[in-house]
Amino acid sequence: MTAHKEAAGRPAPGQALIELADVGRTYVMAETTHAVLAGVTLSIAAGEFAAVMGPSGSGKSTLLHILGLLDRPTSGSYRLAGRDTGELSDDDLSRLRNRAIGFVFQSFYLVPYATALDNVLLPGLYSDMPGSVLRRRGEELLAQVGLTAQAGHKPSQLSGGQQQRVALARALINDPDLILADEPTGQLDSATSAEIMGLLATVNREAGKTVIVVTHDQSTAAYARRQILVHDGRVAKS
Amino acid sequence: MTAAWRNPSRALRTLWRIQRMAVLALCAHKARSLFVVAAVAMGVAALTVIVASVDGARRKALEIVEFFGPDAVMVLGGDIENRPVGQRVYTLTWADARAVARSLPGAYAVLPMRSIRNITLRYGNQNHESPVVVGATENYASTWNWPLAEGRDLSEEDVAHGAKVALIGDEPARQLFGDASPLGRTILVKNLPVQIVGRLAYRGLSGGGSDVTIDDRIIMPITTLTQRFNLDRKYFRGLRVKFHDPDLIDVHKDNLRALLRHLHKLGPTEPDDFTILSASEILKFLTAFTGGLVAFLGVTAGVAIVVGGFVLANLMFLSVSERKTEIGLRKAVGASGAAIAAQFLSEALYLTVAGAFCGVGLGVALGESLSRLGLLQLRLSPKVFVLSLVAALSIALVFGLKPARKAAAMDPIEALRGGGD
Repeated sequence: MTAHKEAAGRPAPGQALIELADVGRTYVMAETTHAVLAGVTLSIAAGEFAAVMGPSGSGKSTLLHILGLLDRPTSGSYRLAGRDTGELSDDDLSRLRNRAIGFVFQSFYLVPYATALDNVLLPGLYSDMPGSVLRRRGEELLAQVGLTAQAGHKPSQLSGGQQQRVALARALINDPDLILADEPTGQLDSATSAEIMGLLATVNREAGKTVIVVTHDQSTAAYARRQILVHDGRVAKS
Repeated sequence: MTAAWRNPSRALRTLWRIQRMAVLALCAHKARSLFVVAAVAMGVAALTVIVASVDGARRKALEIVEFFGPDAVMVLGGDIENRPVGQRVYTLTWADARAVARSLPGAYAVLPMRSIRNITLRYGNQNHESPVVVGATENYASTWNWPLAEGRDLSEEDVAHGAKVALIGDEPARQLFGDASPLGRTILVKNLPVQIVGRLAYRGLSGGGSDVTIDDRIIMPITTLTQRFNLDRKYFRGLRVKFHDPDLIDVHKDNLRALLRHLHKLGPTEPDDFTILSASEILKFLTAFTGGLVAFLGVTAGVAIVVGGFVLANLMFLSVSERKTEIGLRKAVGASGAAIAAQFLSEALYLTVAGAFCGVGLGVALGESLSRLGLLQLRLSPKVFVLSLVAALSIALVFGLKPARKAAAMDPIEALRGGGD
């Protein structure tokens, strides 16, 4: 458990937050093996804003899942904040996801029966943050994304852009170092997309969070300062 | 949840937060929740009724055994179980009674009895129809373990002289004298003036299903009864025999039977012309009726509880697959498998416990109406509540565990995609 604290500790800006070394991910399907990722070596420094791009089926989603500790590489190693994640148990990975990574998904994935504020608080409920601190933080984050008035609304009462802003606030509730966004603008019109990407850029610039966005959309990727191109399970250009 | 023992306060806080999430989720799925509550409530209601009625029957049985005495038997003339055609009912004689008192080992009290039925009692201008007037020998009350509220028991002289005295039961005493003491008063039993010398304490027991209370009776010396009401003087109807050692009651019964067969000169192939009843036989007789109902309810309760369990399991599986993305999301943002399982188990637990409370309420209402109809005698005890809660917990754990584990084992990526069963 002490190891987690190190992992969750702030790395100095510029130091590598993410180090993938020769990472492969193969799936076994009915006697045939299918390599989705092969030999991915990638280093992302703390404080970067990177876009992972590539056509569908290129393996960019799998890469994001591995970066987000939702999936494990079948070969190679992944060091997050200097710590080899291959040694960690599933429960260790859960705790690490909880405190070190914030997720934003294409389909928002808000709990439909919970209010906006409760959705924002959700990752905090699995953390060690005291309830009062958590609640205050949730309200602050909702204010930051401009949804104070909608705190008590259910997701069905919110527009797509509002839902994604709730999701972004949720991603920030445990103050993680890394924000992973999987096609965050995939279901939004261009104006709302710009809002969300603007918010992500602010989070990167002002809070110093490392932001990685997976997208196939050029205009979304343009917000990032670094483009990583994935093709056929390999990093074609980074 | 991992290594909770390392930080119990953290684990407790997580558990507390999970409870709130569980309640929120239940409130969000009201129809489904109510369905499970109703299903469990049915089972628990059946369980409540069965437990209460078994307790009621046992209590009644204990009352009867206590009243009859575990150390006594009752001998009746004739075979009351088979009732062979033409068999005489008056087969017990004074000679039998004396022989039993003299030579049956272990017996210490022998009380011959006979009775006449439906006699009008009169005191002043008060009338009361008493279902039974019993004739007995001395020490009637003590031989029946029946305390006297006031006055004295029948004595040897009363019997020897055919004295016109009587013990009065609680019911006729109340009818004829109200709250006043009947002691020393003279009432008319049919046309015979009789002085009340003792009043039997209230027993409040009604025999097998009839509404005639055993408190409604008059007891006078058997000699008085036979002489004044022109009854046969040689025979009597019943003989109560008490023994020193209740543990040996079966042996005593065998001895008594052998003795009576000998006295009645019955050959080895001839059936008994008398019946010996002990407390256990009387119980058998009384519980034969309720036994069937109790067994039926028991099966019903078991089936209803299992059905409740299956309803819970099915709706939980439905819930788990419907809330797949929610589960995936929770896992993605850091919920451990144990936290997910704990939430779903908690949800199951709340539903079944709510079902248990509704079920006990329903069961009590159902039991009330059943006992008002006179079908069952119910006795509600804390045991009912404890058993219902145990049943509810078992349902939640047995039938909720599999869906909860399924939720806990979900792969977050698959779950978020909404697939991956």
